[in-house]
Order: sequence, then C-alpha cells, then structure tokens
Amino acid sequence: MIESMPQAVPLSPSRAAPGKVFWCFFSKKNVFLSHYSIFLLLLVWELTVTTGLVTSRLLPGLGAVAAAFTADTLNGVLIVDAAITLARALAGFGLAVLIGLFLAALMATSPLFSRLVEPSFFVGYPVPKIALFPIFTFIFGIGSGSKVAFTFLECLYPIVIATDLAIKSIPQRLIWSARNMGAGRLTILRRIIVPAALPGIFSGLRIALPVALTVVVVTEIIGDSKGLGYYITVWSTRFDYAHVYAGIVMVGLCGFLLDQILIRSRARLIPWQTERA
Amino acid sequence: MKAKLEGLFLPAIVLLAWQMAAQFARIPDYLSSPTAIGAALLQLVRDGELLNNLLISLFRAYAGFAIGAIAGAGIGLIAGLVKPIKIFFDPLVSLLYPIPKIAFLPIVFLLFGLGNGAQVSIIALSVFFPVFIAAEYAVLSVNRTLLWSARNMGAHPITVFGRVLVPATAPQLLAGLRVGLAHSFVLLFAAELIGAKNGLGFLIQDGEDNVQFDVMFAGIVLFAVIGFASDRILMAVRRRVLRGQTMGTQEVLQ
Repeated sequence: MIESMPQAVPLSPSRAAPGKVFWCFFSKKNVFLSHYSIFLLLLVWELTVTTGLVTSRLLPGLGAVAAAFTADTLNGVLIVDAAITLARALAGFGLAVLIGLFLAALMATSPLFSRLVEPSFFVGYPVPKIALFPIFTFIFGIGSGSKVAFTFLECLYPIVIATDLAIKSIPQRLIWSARNMGAGRLTILRRIIVPAALPGIFSGLRIALPVALTVVVVTEIIGDSKGLGYYITVWSTRFDYAHVYAGIVMVGLCGFLLDQILIRSRARLIPWQTERA
Repeated sequence: MKAKLEGLFLPAIVLLAWQMAAQFARIPDYLSSPTAIGAALLQLVRDGELLNNLLISLFRAYAGFAIGAIAGAGIGLIAGLVKPIKIFFDPLVSLLYPIPKIAFLPIVFLLFGLGNGAQVSIIALSVFFPVFIAAEYAVLSVNRTLLWSARNMGAHPITVFGRVLVPATAPQLLAGLRVGLAHSFVLLFAAELIGAKNGLGFLIQDGEDNVQFDVMFAGIVLFAVIGFASDRILMAVRRRVLRGQTMGTQEVLQ
C-alpha cells in the first residue's frame, strides 16, 4: 500500500525572483526587461479599459483597482480580513502539524497502530474532502470553527503521509549504528530520526501550507461574514469589480507571505539541504 | 490481503459506531446514518437524478482538467525549451501561482455566466499552473546528454520531442497532473455549490437546503468516489506510462 508521495510542485517558478524584485529596481539587472510580460499584461489591461473595448463596469481600470486597494488597506478593512484569513489558515495548519507529527510518530513506534491507521490515510488522501465542508458547518458553526477544523483535516493528510514515508525511508543501519554505540531511544529520536526525516516532513508542509490558504478562501467564499473570501464575494455581489480585484491582490500577497515563511524556515530548519534555485 | 483487511478495521468501526449512534442514541439529524444514506443513494439511482448530476459533474471536471492540462503541459514543455517563451511566461506564472484560483470565481462567473463555461474555465485555470510548472521544471532537469545524443544521431526535432523529451519528463509531468487533478475537484465543488443548477455540488447543496440530509450525504459520498476513482485512473495511467522507468524499483511491488 506504500504509495509514492505526490511530489510538491516547486513553490514558484523563478524562486529567486519574487523576493528580489524590490532590489532589482536598484541593481544593474533591468527588472522591466526580465519581467516585461507583467508590464505588458498590465498595459493591455489598461488599454482595453481606456479604449472602451470592455466597459469599465466589468473590467475596472488599474487606477480604480489601486485606489480601492489603497483605500481599503489604509482604513484597515483589507488588513483585518487578511489577518482573519491568515489566522484561520495558520491555526488549521498548525493544528495539523502538531497532531499529524504525533500520529506519524505513533505509527513509527507501533506497527499495529501503523497497520490499522495507515491505509485510511493513504486511501483517503486523494478523496476530495471539500465535499464534507457542509457537515463541518453543521458541527462547528459557520464562523472560524468550521474553517479551522476543515483546514486541519485538509492539511493533516499530506503531513501524516510525508512524515510516515520520511521516517520509513530512514536507513535502518543509521539506527542500528546509533544503538550499537549505546544511544537510548530518546537520543535516537532526537539525533537520528528527527534530522533524517526533516527534509521529507518539510515536503509535506510544503504541500499543506498553500492548501491551507486555498481551503480557507474557498470556504469563506462558500459562506462567511469575514475574511478575504467574503470580501471578494460581497463586492462581486455589489458588482464593484475594482474591490474584487483589490481582494484578489490581497489574497496574492498572503500567498506570497506564506511562501516566504516556508522558504525562510526551510533554510533555517534544514540548512544542510538548500533548495535548488 | 491480510494488510488490506486490517486497513478496513478503522473505517468499519467508524461506520458501525455511526449506525449504532443513529439507531440508539440521539444524534443531530444532520448526521443521518449509513443505512439512510445507502437508501437515498438507491433512490437517486432509480430516479435517474443521480446519473444526470454525476455525468454533468464529471464532464465539467474532466473538460476543465483536459484543457488546463493540455495547455499547461504544452506551454510548459515549450517554455522549458525556448528561452523567450520562458521569459514571457515565468513572471506571469510566479505572479499568479500563489493566488488561490478560487478567488477569480466571481470574475469567471461574470465572463462566462452561470453555465458550464464558468465551471470548466475556472477548473482549467487552476489546473494550468501546477502542470505548467511541473512541465517546465521537468524539461529543465532533463539530462542534456540524452537530447544531444539523439540529435547527434540525426533524429528529427519532432522525434526528439516525442521519443526523448516526453518520456524523460513524464514522471514530473504526471506528478503535476496529479496535483492539478486534486485542484480540479476542489474547484468543481466550490463552483457548483455557488453557481450551478445541476451537478453533484448542487445535489449536496440542494439536499442541505431541503433538510434532506441523506441526499446531501449521498452526494458527498459520490463526490468522494469520483475524485478518488479519477486519481486511481491517473495512477494506473502513470504505472503504464512509466512501466520502463519503474521496473525493478519498489513501486512495482505494490
């Protein structure tokens, strides 16, 4: 039943680029040339609006989007919604990390527990769990409870599977050698198993964290009165698409922020294994 | 075989406890019970309501997946080979990739209305990105010697593409497709729940609205089944495509 772990796609195609965009403005490398397609896209967008090709009620101009974004950022509306969305995503993700690592550790220590529980995780992984969300709203209410609980469920699977596979693929001779040299169970766990499994565990976190943000936004769009998903829905029902785009920009910024947290913590936790750029 | 039976232990306990609780204890109506759900499923099959909604959902998911996958794989492979195309697409993809595509749902509904077009296009959009990135990375990580040797032996560029590049990139490409497939069912559910008059997502929402929780659960079960089955199909395709590459590795022993 050991299934190959679905590989995480790289976080962003040009890993070095986003973080460095700001500095590139001051460096000799011309960011306008290397990122010309973004500016081209914005130009085409602006031109279709100003020439009246698409009515500005459906596609607002860049100025309107920027105005909506700055206004709602300055008066704090977008900031509060973004904070709510991020808090929900991180709460669900954090819970999944704690309980997921605990379950995986149990599976590693008890073969019986592993045989009973592992198939549920491996078979359950590709099941689209989003369909269960209506039940979560019944049990945990429409607010943050159901979002955090559901994000927890979605994140739990990749974390448990990645950790389980990571621990299983540790060469047995490492553990034998440590034991042979007189290491106790705790020392083996702390000095051998955790460091050896960390890269694998991290690949699970890498799948889970973007999932957390997506899931929170999806569930907020389905039904809530707070958060970025709600912000986007409510402005689209008012046919004010400048604000919808402003909300999308904020969601993108949150995604970028989580991305950066992952990259930083990876460099910190696993300094001996740097990501290929 | 024994391992499989052991794996059924936990789900069986949960189902049994659920049924018992529904029978003998007072649990909220919205939890329904396994037998009631089974009965609702049978009823929906007899009505023909189930098949209709199932086929519509499958059509949306697969059409969106196919469009997104073909576009993502095609453009991604080319971007891996042709520098100007890579320079054009990379910044756009890295800008849009971290945004959950579901955020574009209102815009897509605006452009395509509440019909199949909106559902298919939002799914295609969300499938495109992981497949594109996987394809581009796959090409960049292909051993250059393979390409050089093929070209050196006089292979036509099309032959190199079909016989060297595609097989060499297949494992990573399929990993990207699997991520994309998972995305497509999340998007399908959200899009059907919000703006559709048929499909499994609608069936679930409808059951919830009409307090027919057995129907809601029947829809949930079916949704889970099609998502799971689609993943199994993709994995079967993967095993077949990668037959040569996985030979002698542990994966064959599954």
